[in-house]
Amino acid sequence: MYQIGNVCVYFAFFLSLYTVASSLIGARYKHRDLVESGRNSAISIFILLIIVSLSLVYELINTNFNLRYVALNTSTDLPTIYRFTALWAGQAGSLLLWCLVLSFFSSIVVFFSNKRDLDYQPYVVVVLYTVLAFFLYLITFVENPFALLPFTPNEGRGLNPILQNGYMAIHPVTLYLGYVGLTIPFAFGMAALISGRLNDAWIRHSRRWTILAWTFLSVGLLLGARWAYLELGWGGYWAWDPVENAAFMPWLTATAFLHSVMIQERNGMLRKWNIILLIITFFLTLFGTFITRSGIISSVHSFAQSDIGPLFLGFISFVLIFSFGIFLYRIKELESEENFDSIISRESAFIFNNLLFLGAAFTVFLGTIFPIISEAVTGEKILVGPPFFNKVNVPIGLVLIFLMGVGPLISWRKATPENLKKNFLVPLIVGLIVGTVLFALKIRDITALLSFSFCGFVVATVVTEFYKGVSVRSSRGENIFVSLTTMISRNNRRYGGYIVHLGVVLIVIGITASSTFNSEVQATLNTGESFAVGEYELTFVKLETYTNDAKNGTKAVLLLSTGGKTIDTVYPEKNIYRYEGNREINKETEVSLRSTYKDDLYIILSNVNSNTNATFRAIINPMVSWIWAGGFVVLFGALITMMPKFSKRRVPSTENMGFKAEKA
Amino acid sequence: MLKGKLKFIFAIIIIAGAISYLVFSGVKDTMVYYLTIDELQAKVPDVYGERVRVSGTVVPGTIEKDNNGDIKFKITDGTNKINVNYSGIIPDIFADDVEAVVEGNYTQQNVFIADILLAKCPTKYESDEKLYESQKGST
Repeated sequence: MYQIGNVCVYFAFFLSLYTVASSLIGARYKHRDLVESGRNSAISIFILLIIVSLSLVYELINTNFNLRYVALNTSTDLPTIYRFTALWAGQAGSLLLWCLVLSFFSSIVVFFSNKRDLDYQPYVVVVLYTVLAFFLYLITFVENPFALLPFTPNEGRGLNPILQNGYMAIHPVTLYLGYVGLTIPFAFGMAALISGRLNDAWIRHSRRWTILAWTFLSVGLLLGARWAYLELGWGGYWAWDPVENAAFMPWLTATAFLHSVMIQERNGMLRKWNIILLIITFFLTLFGTFITRSGIISSVHSFAQSDIGPLFLGFISFVLIFSFGIFLYRIKELESEENFDSIISRESAFIFNNLLFLGAAFTVFLGTIFPIISEAVTGEKILVGPPFFNKVNVPIGLVLIFLMGVGPLISWRKATPENLKKNFLVPLIVGLIVGTVLFALKIRDITALLSFSFCGFVVATVVTEFYKGVSVRSSRGENIFVSLTTMISRNNRRYGGYIVHLGVVLIVIGITASSTFNSEVQATLNTGESFAVGEYELTFVKLETYTNDAKNGTKAVLLLSTGGKTIDTVYPEKNIYRYEGNREINKETEVSLRSTYKDDLYIILSNVNSNTNATFRAIINPMVSWIWAGGFVVLFGALITMMPKFSKRRVPSTENMGFKAEKA
Repeated sequence: MLKGKLKFIFAIIIIAGAISYLVFSGVKDTMVYYLTIDELQAKVPDVYGERVRVSGTVVPGTIEKDNNGDIKFKITDGTNKINVNYSGIIPDIFADDVEAVVEGNYTQQNVFIADILLAKCPTKYESDEKLYESQKGST
């Protein structure tokens, strides 16, 4: 099977070069057949890459250890599902996944684009397949997943136990869909610059694809946080590790783009700015892949390393120089006639939002590469850790939350004092009440007070907006539920966006509470003894051991009680993986997590000292579940913004292909 | 019009200034020197009281656990060794011979008091070395 896959990899690489060349020449000389041929080969690359992936999956599942990739990432005792997910556990496989996702998205773009357009669409194809060609080059010549070992080992290295987790099966794919998806809006922007077709068609496409990619990226980030929380066993979900930052930076700039794009769509302003945001976002995705894949910045979880670093740096330089070059070439044509009128307006709220998102991305970038800069400049390696990122990003985040409440209510162009008073009085009062009540409840942490008050303010603005819309409709005698759904579906981008904001508020509440009010207790106990953490009391009953195919488990049994009443039994574990052919990691802590809307009780079995004595660490993380709940709300809101328009009254039948027609 | 523009410029300067200040004070307050054991010992006595991060390989057989779950161990860069006392969550992969990264203070008693312990196994992770070993064992 692997021979077929290997042949297809080569084919896919050469076809990607062909796609670029024929689309470019076809567009340049208005040669319809060449453009058409480029489109066909573009789609056939996707089919080839499916064959490549399937043949690798086949080898992984059948554990053909003659293949280096299979030997390094699977073992005979690995369950089938994790043999499958081993597809993206190592370097070559991750890069293959990158190619597969990019060619999937690109094929959708090609499929829905207008065949007859020879001016603009072919350039989108050129940009997309240049990027794809680079990644295909890597998996064809540098990190080929079908590379053979000179012998066939009897057993493979197996998959790292911390990767054997359901979240690890979906988190990388989701993150990749978002990460790679950000190539598409970049390609639309670049094609507009190359072709000179700078009307607002490209921005519509870019926006749609950015929302899609952003949604995947957001969900992927949260899944990653959830995985770290459950699996890494240190009680937190975010550590500002370079690998996490790599995914977070493009998320920040993509978020900025999703906001500033509204201004361009509304009155044609910020055209240059939006292009720059797309370039930066794409740069950050490449840079993120570079730091995670090249191992240049040491991270506790860089799972895969190799010497693709220099190639990546070369490609990143090419992308940056090319994009900024072509941007400068078209800069005159990107001028807009409109000007900003007033600093108290929605436009300016969006500008500040953008500056802050970009500023946050910049500080994260700086913190991530700080060791490299300091070593280059002073010769000494200096790190800035989580305290730096928190110190810098918490204030920026607070202002952003505040602006999240201001943006939807302030008027466009210029807000009058009456407008301000009419719209902001109630939400401001709500925010103040929240702050005052919390202060009365003896909360003195200034960050938490501000954060919760701003959250109250934002929720109030969103509720006000929904209330206004619904009350206008229901005053005409409409059923409230009917008017709510018609209002949302008529104006899905706006109300979907508000729902996303509500989700973000939930996440912010969860982050604020869990990082401000957490508490931790460590205790070494004999069986029968107990210790207290917060309002809970934990009694150590006994240790149990069990054995299954993969591991020898040691399970502690603890009774959980509060107020003298036993409410639950919890089982933190410490497991030794039996199979030693693998890795340095054969010991794994399985935390016990008891999660409610109020708090998470996170219990770690740190050490087993004897049959009747063990050391535990118990952490109370308030309101962590709100973060995951917020994730669902964000996803729900984002789906609403992406909903196609169904409204019968306003859309005549000729526009039924709205999506297709607009793509043209 | 000009007045409006000026206001924007002011606002942008304030934001840029605020973020720069945050970065500056953030770096100043939180920066940590990342040293090898060699460099750490060369910096004595200046290094006492300063927060530093040091990496080295865990010397086999030196890991001692006490009843509170705290540990003591030695790390080495091949020639020099230092003693480390650590209290906190022990990473699963922490064991003899792994590369450990500790953060904390080096004290006058020449013991490193760490409150952060990271363990990594980067170089060996995706290498063929072990596969060859397993082959040797089986034949």
